[in-house]
Amino acid sequence: MVFGATLRARIREAGLAYLLLLPSLLFLAAFTYWPILRSLWFSFHDVVLGDSKIIWLGLENYQRLWGDRLFWRSLGNTVFYTVLTIPLAIACALLMAVALDSKLRGMAIYRSAFFYPVMIPSVAAGMVWVFLYSAGYGPINQGLRFIGLPDTAWLYDSTWALPAIMVMSVWKYSGYFMLILLAALKLVPSDLYEAARLDGVSAWDRLIHITLPLISPTLYFVVIIGLLHSYQIFDYVYVMTHGGPADATNVLTFYIYQNGFQYQDIGYASTLANVLLLFVGGLIAVIATVFGRRVHYLGR
Amino acid sequence: MTSLQIQTIPSPAAPPMAEPARSALTALRRGWLHLLLVPLALLWLSPLLWILVTSLKARTEVFDPAAGFWPLALQWSNYPAALSVAPFGTYLVNSVMVTGGILIAQLVTITLAAYTFARLTFPGKNLLFTLFLLQIMFPIYATFLTNFVTVREFGILNSLPAMIVPFVASGYGTFMLRQAFRQVPTELADAARLDGCGHFGILWHVYLPLVKPTLIAFGIITVVTHWNDYMWPLLVTNSEGVRTLPIGLGLLAKSDSGADWTRLMAATVVVVSPLLLLFVIFQRRFVDSFMHAGLK
Amino acid sequence: MAEVVLQGVSKAYAGRPTVHAVDLTIADKEFMVLVGPSGCGKSTTLRMVAGLEDITAGRLLIDGADVTHAAPQKRDIAMVFQSYALYPHMTAFRNMAFGLLKTTDLGKAEVDRRIREAAEILHIGHLLERKPNQLSGGERQRVAIGRALVRQPKVFLFDEPLSNLDAKLRTRMRGELKRLHKELGLTVIYVTHDQIEAMTLGTRVAILSEGRLQQVGAPMELYMHPANTFVATFIGTPEMSLLRCAVRPEGNGSLLQHERFLTALPARPDAAEVFLGVRPEEILISQSAEGITRGIVERTELIGSEALAEILIGRDRVVARMPISEAPESGEEVSLTFDFGRARLFDATNGRALTSI
Repeated sequence: MVFGATLRARIREAGLAYLLLLPSLLFLAAFTYWPILRSLWFSFHDVVLGDSKIIWLGLENYQRLWGDRLFWRSLGNTVFYTVLTIPLAIACALLMAVALDSKLRGMAIYRSAFFYPVMIPSVAAGMVWVFLYSAGYGPINQGLRFIGLPDTAWLYDSTWALPAIMVMSVWKYSGYFMLILLAALKLVPSDLYEAARLDGVSAWDRLIHITLPLISPTLYFVVIIGLLHSYQIFDYVYVMTHGGPADATNVLTFYIYQNGFQYQDIGYASTLANVLLLFVGGLIAVIATVFGRRVHYLGR
Repeated sequence: MTSLQIQTIPSPAAPPMAEPARSALTALRRGWLHLLLVPLALLWLSPLLWILVTSLKARTEVFDPAAGFWPLALQWSNYPAALSVAPFGTYLVNSVMVTGGILIAQLVTITLAAYTFARLTFPGKNLLFTLFLLQIMFPIYATFLTNFVTVREFGILNSLPAMIVPFVASGYGTFMLRQAFRQVPTELADAARLDGCGHFGILWHVYLPLVKPTLIAFGIITVVTHWNDYMWPLLVTNSEGVRTLPIGLGLLAKSDSGADWTRLMAATVVVVSPLLLLFVIFQRRFVDSFMHAGLK
Repeated sequence: MAEVVLQGVSKAYAGRPTVHAVDLTIADKEFMVLVGPSGCGKSTTLRMVAGLEDITAGRLLIDGADVTHAAPQKRDIAMVFQSYALYPHMTAFRNMAFGLLKTTDLGKAEVDRRIREAAEILHIGHLLERKPNQLSGGERQRVAIGRALVRQPKVFLFDEPLSNLDAKLRTRMRGELKRLHKELGLTVIYVTHDQIEAMTLGTRVAILSEGRLQQVGAPMELYMHPANTFVATFIGTPEMSLLRCAVRPEGNGSLLQHERFLTALPARPDAAEVFLGVRPEEILISQSAEGITRGIVERTELIGSEALAEILIGRDRVVARMPISEAPESGEEVSLTFDFGRARLFDATNGRALTSI
């Protein structure tokens, strides 16, 4: 009987726990897990937006995907964008953070200058850069002309359109990464640097052998954050190029949008969405095994 | 500090006499830093500068390669002109409602969930927590397609709730707040129990006041994120009455398609200025929030 | 008018027992100290009395009412925590008022009066508007005690309240607590790992080890008549020395045979092997050869007014206390004898005290 009372208390606590988690779980289930399962299910069917008739297709969508050149193009663009933008932005951020990690005059101004793009809506940022990149009157081309280089219609040139968006992304996000890295740099004990200086270690070696290893958990974290932010390329593509020219900037998220919303082919779009999930999940797994084995982060 | 070091640490490279030379060296190094940082900062600031300058130019000046960087006369009239082409007042109200709705809903759900994960024991705790964390990896950009189908089935397309519901639960917020709750000494919760508090009393009187910095940090990040949201509101709205500021701006850009940059930049200034102004006023708070959000 | 009764109170975490069937009665106005090494279950026992831990088995009565499963705030108790657990975002005044307002329906005036009164007793009247981070350790301690006092509970629980203070302040607060207990007639259960605190504060002391109650009694009773070798060595510094001896019957009495000496006892202890327990002050040494055995001095320590000497008798090491003037040199061989009027015997198989010597 007495033991029963403890058991009852434990059951009551568990009940309360589930009750408190219920609101979150409800919405997580409806808008995160159910959609994932559903898109898996959709990918084996012919689903048309607004049509309640759903036809079993088996692996047909996946076969179509295999032969779809545009899919491979968009996947290639996504990979290209992701694996170049993130390291570039982090390198920029690291440079800024290391430069600002001292009692520098005007520190707050520099910090704000690098950080403010994070707070600008992606649509506004995209628009401004359309202006900056525009042929003829665009400030970038005017600048190039000034130093005697030829004009380029950046966003209308299939070679340069995607790199142009990448440059904009670096501008938009390095400030965020810089702040996170700056916080980590401040936690590196200064006596380590002093000790290294007494040992005659050069500034460059201090960066490589002391700073980087010590902030590696944060670097890992920043890579993950960067990966999650790279999804936002949809906004830029939508605003700046709409996938063009000639699909040079068509990325997976945008291709999913085209199939689902322009051609109303939910089944095939779901198949593409599954590939996107697989791609991001795979990339995170790769990063976790390469990087994360030594620097655990989440869940502790 | 430096002089103290030199006095106490005997080092042949830096005898006390070398001090002036050394501080000059430091100054030089700082100077180099500025030499690097000033152009970089200007580069970063230039888009903002162009927005402001263009928003005050005359239409023809923009396309005239011979015109200078500064406008000949400040065209303040671009602003009323921009605001009159689209119902920006309605957009603003919608933006406030959507962002506010998400913020309030998230604060409620993450507070309850974070307290549960931080302080209660129950079967399946680790599994459920992992499920919460997984959400971080599947943002709306990964699930928008099927979510659109779901929202459509609920019959709430083209409404404010449609823009809110996918963001009510936050794995990231739950994680952040759980970490903060775990920093609160358990003895405080014990003391509150003896003082007659139940779970909700402890949460309200002890935990929430003590994690205020984390709540503010999370609030700022949420507001910045959802105030700027573009893709999802774009997909689920199709009438003026429910559009938010970024969507309105996007539409304006599309309809103008580069014809009138001055008006577009004026509208851009209107859309970006609320957050940028808040950022300038509460700079420390914003910076601290984003700095520490990921590190706890 | 508050009596606390623990009847077979037990605690198990995930099936592993940590407190075994503790039976203990704390009388009204008694200052009961629970003492033992860390991990002995004393804090868990206190937290079970407070209601912060479930009682796995057994019953808890406060004033005759069964509160085994009552919520903490229904038990009419107040607690002072090791870290003080003051709410950092509230002033000292709010800290003291919070529980009162939550658990009682006293008017504002009465709450205010009680707090002023407690503040006066504790000399913290001028600190009431400060927040905990503006207070020193000692002041926080007083506010924490004040928070308990204003509740006017039946029982006060203290969980190692002095361990975060420096040595000097600790001695002062010890005196203060003693004064409060006496003047206000409080019923107190006090947990500590410090045996000096236990001996100086408690009207009675309960010693725990490995989740089991070892002995309950007045401080001097524990010191003079420990129930087993654990209590014997836990109480008293330096600790009691234990010498293993064999018992051989001899006429009406017996002979106690140690590796290095043989001595007659008037009684006949009920064990074949015993420990002879002698405290440092019960060992008498001299340079001449009149003692019952001899030993080599390993080390001498001067501690102000007196000296301690570690002496090797065969394989056993004993510690003796003596005036400084009589302190032997280390390495010296000395002759010793024991004060058999006070020394005691323990059964070597289970450590229990034997009634006769």
